[in-house]
Amino acid sequence: MARMKFLCDADRCIECNGCVTACKNANDVPWGVNRRRVVTINDGVPGEKSISVACMHCTDAPCAAVCPVDCFYTTDDGVVLHDKDLCIGCGYCFYACPFGAPQFPQQEAFGVRGKMDKCTFCAGGPEEDNSAAEREKYGANRLAQGKLPMCAEMCSTKALLAGDGDLVADIYRERVMKRDSRPQAWGWGTAYKSEA
Amino acid sequence: MTMAGRRPVQLPVLALVCLIASGISGCQDPSDVTIYEPGVYKGKTDPLLALADTAEYEERLAVRFNYQRDR
Repeated sequence: MARMKFLCDADRCIECNGCVTACKNANDVPWGVNRRRVVTINDGVPGEKSISVACMHCTDAPCAAVCPVDCFYTTDDGVVLHDKDLCIGCGYCFYACPFGAPQFPQQEAFGVRGKMDKCTFCAGGPEEDNSAAEREKYGANRLAQGKLPMCAEMCSTKALLAGDGDLVADIYRERVMKRDSRPQAWGWGTAYKSEA
Repeated sequence: MTMAGRRPVQLPVLALVCLIASGISGCQDPSDVTIYEPGVYKGKTDPLLALADTAEYEERLAVRFNYQRDR
């Protein structure tokens, strides 16, 4: 069984925001919600690095751990999804997520947030696959169509990879070998106390 | 008192009883309330879970994945 993961190759990302646009277009993401964002570290400084961030579909997802109504579930291939019919829009998942993945579409009077929205790895939600209800609530279900997330498939430099974690790691390892350098992954310098 | 004299009194009483009965019937607990239990997902079952068990599903994704490799 595959274990679905995203990986953004910081050496390849050119901050084009194509992934953000592809995601919004494919899933009809409402105004004000970004399921995916491109973050640039040391913006404007030579050697700046950009990475594309969305829900990381954590193995031990903190959003699911804090949800008071347990609206989260994880598929067998590791995609973290949620049921919007159970979500009460409390916002606990937003505070718990280290990546800022959970988003809330409405900002009305009295703090009404609406149902939480986040990256689904283009796997829709707990409605009939590719039905109108699923499309409206969760967006596209590309996995059911035998396709991978739109953001990764649209990436022009193939910086953003999505799929089975083992295969993603294989591709990244090959790239690092070709570059003849250590991985320039995000956080490497911080983790190993060296200059990036 | 004759039967003809009692009928006008019975009709409003009968109507009132019907009204109260229909009102009370709306006071019962709704049956579709989700009772939460810690750590238990009680939402709908995702049809993708059954689909993901098939070999064809994994095969199609694996083929698709190879498009992400460098040419």
